[in-house]
Amino acid sequence: MIEVRGLTKRFGDVAAVDDVSFDVAPGEVFGLLGPNGAGKTTTLRVLATLLHADGGRASVAGHDVAREGEAVRRSIGVVNGGMGLYDRLDGREVLHYFGRMYGMERGAIDRRIAELDGLLDLSATLGKRCGEFSTGMKQKIVIARAVLHDPPVLFFDEATSGLDVMARRAVLDFCRAYPGEARAVVYSTHVMGEVEELCDRLAILYRGRVIADDTVAGLTEAAGEADLERAFFTLVRRSGLATEGVAA
Amino acid sequence: MRWRFVRSVAGKEILSTLRDHRAIVSNLVIPLVLLPVIMLGLPLLMGGLFQRETTTVTEVAVEGRAHLPADLAALIEAQNAVLIDVDDAVEAVRADRMPAGLVVGPGFAEALASGTRAEIAVVGKEGNLRAELNVGKLRAAIDAYRRALVAERLVAAGVDPAVLEPIAVVTRDASTDAERSSGQLAWLIPFFIAIWTLTGGQMTAIDATAGEKERGTLEVLLVAPVRRAEVVFGKFLAVVLFGLSAAVMAIVGFILGGTVLRTIFLPMLGDEATGIVSMMGGQLTITPLTVVLLVVSSVLMASVVAALLMSVTLFARSFKEAQTYVAPMSFVLLIPAIALQFKDLIGTGGFAYWVPVYNVMILMDDAVKGAAQLGPTLTAWGTMAVLIVALLAFALANFRREEVLFRT
Repeated sequence: MIEVRGLTKRFGDVAAVDDVSFDVAPGEVFGLLGPNGAGKTTTLRVLATLLHADGGRASVAGHDVAREGEAVRRSIGVVNGGMGLYDRLDGREVLHYFGRMYGMERGAIDRRIAELDGLLDLSATLGKRCGEFSTGMKQKIVIARAVLHDPPVLFFDEATSGLDVMARRAVLDFCRAYPGEARAVVYSTHVMGEVEELCDRLAILYRGRVIADDTVAGLTEAAGEADLERAFFTLVRRSGLATEGVAA
Repeated sequence: MRWRFVRSVAGKEILSTLRDHRAIVSNLVIPLVLLPVIMLGLPLLMGGLFQRETTTVTEVAVEGRAHLPADLAALIEAQNAVLIDVDDAVEAVRADRMPAGLVVGPGFAEALASGTRAEIAVVGKEGNLRAELNVGKLRAAIDAYRRALVAERLVAAGVDPAVLEPIAVVTRDASTDAERSSGQLAWLIPFFIAIWTLTGGQMTAIDATAGEKERGTLEVLLVAPVRRAEVVFGKFLAVVLFGLSAAVMAIVGFILGGTVLRTIFLPMLGDEATGIVSMMGGQLTITPLTVVLLVVSSVLMASVVAALLMSVTLFARSFKEAQTYVAPMSFVLLIPAIALQFKDLIGTGGFAYWVPVYNVMILMDDAVKGAAQLGPTLTAWGTMAVLIVALLAFALANFRREEVLFRT
């Protein structure tokens, strides 16, 4: 579903993403785990065609990100932690706006909103202006917006950042349920517990590079540690890229 | 470019702005009220004050009343003035007890009788409009008395008074009625239209660019399969619409306000006050052609300002930062507006209609004076169209630059 080979993205002299490769199969939740600045968001932005790669190649849902930008964007949805919405539009208007951006007709958008209402319980948000939303309500509309066009690939980028425990649980449950057999999720986070709970496989990113790529069990075993957090630090240390803090 | 995507982007920006009460007040209400108040209310107010001062009986402080010849006193009193005896006329005017005064020395009557030079002092306050108006009335009366005295003496000496004016200079006004009545404040119309396209469009422009970046919605929008050109053009149309709405409201306010104020208030004023109102721009001639010229020029002005706003505000990281970028733009528009005041000296032939922004300001000025011509009009509009395309291309290039979009 997603194929990334030798992907590189530089900002000036800094390689934010450095020779990154991984694959995501249909039905998988794939984790991108790393601290802030590891290159997770930059990787997702390249895959979403917002940034141009300086090297390597990638394809999403069979479309090359460099050459088939529109087809890639039709195939993806993005849930990020910023929860940015239009304060003066209500939930239904936001969904209609983005539905039109995906080329959907009014009737199709209304039917999809009804479906998503059943999944996400949007009733309190549809007639209310986004400026009056609670954090949880915002995140429901952000998720609904991302999956409105039923994309085969869904990116979550620090999607639970700033959420209370109830809203966070709703996001995690939705993420786990979304892939089915034909769809894939890339879940980017720095929270080990979320990766352990959700991800079938993951890549650990550190300083723009993939330092390990396996299942949670495979990584802990390879590191000789009991849990993912300890395995993370061990693998970072072994990579030779470790800062003093990690090495200590 | 797919029109339905452009329309959706524009529609969302329009809906969002319409729900912002601040934008409605600044776009629709203020331009509707402010322009007629300044363009028509101010001259009418001044005309009314002038009328009041010329018809109101003015008290004139006279020091040395006993020495003032009766026929000169009668001429002064004929100017709606009443003469009040005071010990110190300068003090009376300085203390604002009376707006003007006269100091008549003890030798005044004797000097007049003997035919030597007689001196009389007119007292006023420089810079005080009311005092100057009344000093003018006194000077007029004294001048009439002086001329009568000169004529009387020349006749007594057997000389024709016409000998003092061997050349008669007559001025013939070659301006059209529209030019004559366009007045000294006519340049304010293009200036206000330029300023309102900026004021009216800036809220939408900032919200649609820096605001979207700050909220994180721009990134989400660009992840959709909409093209950058469609996003830019949709947002541009919304900015133009609100810039234009403010400018159109200013024009509507001017026309409606002008009609109401002229119909109701002008008949209450005398001929002299009406002249002042006309001189200052209170009786501009607005024909259907003038409206067409103003509206088309406003559309072009709004489009240039909108494209410029879009290019500049996208650089900003936040709404507040964008506001600091927009503030100097009003000065950019002020420069051609100031130049417009001196267009008679600068000249409008040749280059002037090729200078964007300045050219449509001249054109608007021409329009309200009924002096617009086809060739310069097409030159100005064509130049503006080229600039709009160039600025939109620049805005689009910015929307494609990663370092601009992700400058947070």
